[in-house]
Amino acid sequence: MANKEDVTRRKFLREGLWGACLAGAGTAAGLSVARNNQDNTVWQIDPYKCIACGNCATYCVLEQSAVKCIQAYAICGYCDLCTGYLVPEPKALDTGAENELCPTGAIKRTYVEDPYYEYTIDEALCNGCGKCVKGCVAFGNGSLFLQVRHDRCLNCNECAIAAACPSQAFTRVPARQPYLLKGVDAKE
Amino acid sequence: MEKAYGKINGGWIVVVLVIAAVAAGIVSVLRFDATGKSGSGLSDEFNYNLAKLAAVDPALILYEEPGPPLQTGFRQSRALAIGTGGRVYVAGDRALGVFSPTGAPEMLIELSGEPRCLAIADDGKIYVGVGDHVEVLTTQGQPAASWASLGDEAVLTSIAISPDGIFVADAGHRIVLRYDAAGTLVGHIGEKDPDKNVPGFVIPSPHFDLAVSRDGLLRVANPGRNRIDAYTFDGDFEFAWGERSVGIKGFCGCCNPVSFSILPDGGFVTAEKGLDRVKIYNSDGGFVGVVAGPAQLGKEGQIKVCNTPEECQGGGLDVAVAPDGRVYVLDVTNNVIRVFQKKEAGR
Repeated sequence: MANKEDVTRRKFLREGLWGACLAGAGTAAGLSVARNNQDNTVWQIDPYKCIACGNCATYCVLEQSAVKCIQAYAICGYCDLCTGYLVPEPKALDTGAENELCPTGAIKRTYVEDPYYEYTIDEALCNGCGKCVKGCVAFGNGSLFLQVRHDRCLNCNECAIAAACPSQAFTRVPARQPYLLKGVDAKE
Repeated sequence: MEKAYGKINGGWIVVVLVIAAVAAGIVSVLRFDATGKSGSGLSDEFNYNLAKLAAVDPALILYEEPGPPLQTGFRQSRALAIGTGGRVYVAGDRALGVFSPTGAPEMLIELSGEPRCLAIADDGKIYVGVGDHVEVLTTQGQPAASWASLGDEAVLTSIAISPDGIFVADAGHRIVLRYDAAGTLVGHIGEKDPDKNVPGFVIPSPHFDLAVSRDGLLRVANPGRNRIDAYTFDGDFEFAWGERSVGIKGFCGCCNPVSFSILPDGGFVTAEKGLDRVKIYNSDGGFVGVVAGPAQLGKEGQIKVCNTPEECQGGGLDVAVAPDGRVYVLDVTNNVIRVFQKKEAGR
């Protein structure tokens, strides 16, 4: 009986050690995967927290900010009087420079049918100031909003705009889903 | 050894340059703002001053709020109506709350779906737009009838009752539907038809209000055109009034007025979103004065941040008028009803 018990204890210890080793290896692998997943994130702006303060235009380390305005067509009202495109008191509802809200002329207005117009962003001209976003959110449907464009963003470890964001709208999102879009079928 | 006058000592130049570089470095570090508190540094050209637009001349404000706002008790209030006896009806959260004229809760009626609009008939019957159809309730909130569905795209936003019919605004189809008392659809109003000079409704967001005026015409908000249209009950377009402007006399933004109601004298009380303003116009559409501006509605200086696209599009105010002329304003974002009464003469 005593011998049998010794063998059982030895066997138990040996198998226990193997079990602990396997559990340790599994945990290490799991942690590694989790860390890798965590590492594969990028910066993005939560459009529902953004207050379009203008800091995105000037705090990015890039000469031309990686933040651009985008349009959620599913939400847009295609308004003739677009408050993201036109100044508050326009002389006329047209494409005259004096009527445009965007200081860089980055929004294009295209006639669809009476009285509807489509508005698209020329990203090469957009500096991410958010002036149009303010106009659209305050008076319209809020279809214009700011996003970090990942063809430009350097994905800095500590994003200079995120540090300067007064509404904590900057967040890390999975790289496989790098945009936080409004609406269900927003076109970029 | 002869000293070379006029020659620059290279050592001193290096010292001066090093001191200048260090000073410039210190100044840069001290002036550097990584927190964004000093602002974007963009010129005025890039700023959008909403506060300036929201300012209302106090001399134009003709009403005052004598008491604290009434809490609706809903997480998402939707619509407001006043019964003939001054009872207050609020729809939201798949229910209908009934309050006495003094604001005391009287009844909570459960509904079959999410309400978007309601109207109270002179006989006390309650008409509620629920999803894609209208439901009729008795005075005590018992189901009396459920009208036919208007389809998946229907978004019912307003109901008006007259002896000649019941009119329902459908923002989804951008049309007004005329029913008889039994709930039979008898006509469509406002479908764009250049041959009949019917301009059509422009509805960028689900705000599409209507009311039957004392002059026997149907008044329908045409928010995308920033005006109120007048139609006969048979659908003939008569005229429209309303001016596009951020100025106090006009309606601004993509879709205003978001709601309106008829005053006992035949005038109009209108509500706008964006610049939250409740204003009075006479029966011809002439500007009379302001009931409340953003400051009186508790929204001064707010930068609107909406949590969902629906909230972005659906936010706003609903207005109703009591038989005594008091103006009730439902704030669907903060779920409160503010009651305004005319200031006494001389104040």
